[in-house]
Amino acid sequence: MHALIIDDSRAMRSILRRIVAGLGWETTEAGDGQAALDHLEAGLLPDLCLIDWNMPVMDGYTFVTRVRADPRWRAITLMMVTTESEHGQIVRALAAGAHEYVIKPFTADAILDKLALLGLRDQEVSA
Amino acid sequence: MSVVAPTAPDLAALLDEVWSSLVGAPDELALGGPPPDCSTLWSATVTITGEWRAMVSLDLGDPVVLAVTRAMLGFAEDEVPDVASCTDAIGELANIVGGNVKSLMPGPSVLSLPVVFHGPVQVPSELAASTDLHLSWYGAPLRVRVLTPSS
Repeated sequence: MHALIIDDSRAMRSILRRIVAGLGWETTEAGDGQAALDHLEAGLLPDLCLIDWNMPVMDGYTFVTRVRADPRWRAITLMMVTTESEHGQIVRALAAGAHEYVIKPFTADAILDKLALLGLRDQEVSA
Repeated sequence: MSVVAPTAPDLAALLDEVWSSLVGAPDELALGGPPPDCSTLWSATVTITGEWRAMVSLDLGDPVVLAVTRAMLGFAEDEVPDVASCTDAIGELANIVGGNVKSLMPGPSVLSLPVVFHGPVQVPSELAASTDLHLSWYGAPLRVRVLTPSS
């Protein structure tokens, strides 16, 4: 499995990288939406994109709309990971094609639970 | 009566959540303490514009900045983060605190990208602190302010 982590903060990319690397995933990082699109245009086909909203150059919402408009990238799961928590923003992102939405700050468990919901990680079965 | 800014208890609860999620050791984040020493001060701000307007400012001393940066970037205890790493980490901290402050207030509004200063922030004259929280972490001071238009 491969995750493309898109955030202008190296610290946030590091936190997310450690979470998904703990699952044995490979990761690629991008500092804004345009840099992430450049990775996709170059042939990277990740299973998951973790996407911040507020970034310079190209924001996460625009990235989601661009990815969803291109059939080559239909299989990619898109998860917003952002401080934007207004209801209208969440609805906008989901309507544009994001599959899930996580609000910062988050715990590792919150990300792992979302991955399980998306079928990207085995669900733990309660005894 | 309209709400001007989050209350100090709301802001303290938010800081606790941010610390426990991203930095660790929430029990050590204590209310009170002296203001950060200006000679070793870092400041990080974000502005909020729209239905509600404010600047959210974090003032942190060197020990807090170094510890936060180590925690967020996964550095070893004895590793000394460089200036770029510190700037990145506390900028993201301001982004997260500011975003969550925004969520407590009436919207819609827009959050700016963070700005980080090595030194005290110059607060625009039309803004005044509506909430001013002094905290300490492992004995090192940390101050969080929500500054709103004074008129």
